[in-house]
Amino acid sequence: MSSFLGAIYRVLKKDLQIERRTKQVTTTVAVFALLVVLTFAFSFVQTLQSAALLGRGALWVAFVFAGTFGVTKTIELEDRNGALDGLLIAPIDRSAIYLGKVLSTTVFIFAVSLLTLGATSVFLGYSPSMSTAAAIVGVLLVSAVGFSAIGVVVSILTFRSGLDELALPVLLVPLVVPLLLAGVELTAALESGAPLGGWLRLLTLYTGIVLLAGIATFEYVVEE
Amino acid sequence: MKSGDEPIGADAVPPAIDVADVTKSYGHFTAVEQLSFTVERGSTLGLFGPNGAGKTTLLRMLAGLTRPTEGTVSVDGVALAPDDHTTYRTVGVVTHETMVYDELTARENLRFHAGLHGVDDPAARCESVLETVGLSHRGSDRPGEFSHGLRKRLSLARALLHDPQVLLLDEPYTGLDQRSVADLETVLDGFDDRTVVLTTHDLERGVERCSRALVVDRGRIEADVDLDESGAASFESTYRQAIGVDEPETSEAVR
Repeated sequence: MSSFLGAIYRVLKKDLQIERRTKQVTTTVAVFALLVVLTFAFSFVQTLQSAALLGRGALWVAFVFAGTFGVTKTIELEDRNGALDGLLIAPIDRSAIYLGKVLSTTVFIFAVSLLTLGATSVFLGYSPSMSTAAAIVGVLLVSAVGFSAIGVVVSILTFRSGLDELALPVLLVPLVVPLLLAGVELTAALESGAPLGGWLRLLTLYTGIVLLAGIATFEYVVEE
Repeated sequence: MKSGDEPIGADAVPPAIDVADVTKSYGHFTAVEQLSFTVERGSTLGLFGPNGAGKTTLLRMLAGLTRPTEGTVSVDGVALAPDDHTTYRTVGVVTHETMVYDELTARENLRFHAGLHGVDDPAARCESVLETVGLSHRGSDRPGEFSHGLRKRLSLARALLHDPQVLLLDEPYTGLDQRSVADLETVLDGFDDRTVVLTTHDLERGVERCSRALVVDRGRIEADVDLDESGAASFESTYRQAIGVDEPETSEAVR
């Protein structure tokens, strides 16, 4: 068990170390997310009266685009120089590699989501109360885990099978629709004080299911 | 008896590698077909053959990177299984790709892989393998700044980290200058008690290094030659015959 957790930690630490040095993922993804928010600001601020509607729209559009871009970048790292093969020939459980990659991708997507939330406040006047904002951060965190769990599997599948990078969003977006739907509805419900029940169950259950499915299938996804 | 089907007797020492009826297909294309052979401990086996013969696919199956469609591959008497990765402790692999991260230094890359392989005293071991491959002075540099030869040395250092009993080398001489080849030969000379399987197009060097050669073509073993008994000239003739090409073309292709 300790070697399993140790392997997860090593993969996570390695990704964070590379990111700290290159800032390749967070910088490019953050710029991308900010562009989405700014585009919303330029396009809708004059015409749309509801800052809350505008803010959560920009937040989740940025989330899905930035997430797709972020997961591509983190897996591209393993594709270069056959680095993934280097992980696969190590005497460790392959699900540890998967969980390590999911964790690092989650960190990147979540960090950019927090930045995007701040940007919506600055540029779109989106200002939920502190408790609502904290709950939205929680929703973003769970969504980032679910998105990464799907994204790591799909992007490795895309890279290993030699499909074009453009195939990734085509395969990924339909699978993350339940997460986005739940995320958007939960954000709206948190602002209006409506019950969260069904959407919260969908978000957590779907995240749990895709994470377990990823653990179960990763062995086969990386096989040639 | 197929590997993994029956337990090996207490007295019997299993071969280092046992390939039993292995086939690998990609859709309708069969890359490797019904291959069976064993590799004795401490021996050096060369896999020779033209491009697309199935050598790399075979080597990747020995490394556990590709799963056979049929048959079994055993290392040290243990069949490679998807859910049991302990066998990989005994295997070191060098392929066309370095399997390292350009963003980390050579030393950081080795420390990372040493951690994954559960190497004792990783810091000391990393310094030791860096010295073995002649990269001690470049340990703090990133592989992205390395020449092809230096990258190959780093790849070899990574493969040696966990002191493997079996070393798998895919085209180890390709792209190396004479000095790098000499350094590689020195490393392999120190590997006398281990089992080495290598693929190469360099017939001359391969024959010199290996004790046995398999000529593979279109996924099948066309010849199995004991190189300790047969000379280089004799093997070249066997090779030509096995892959069915005329002498002048072969000479050009293999040199």
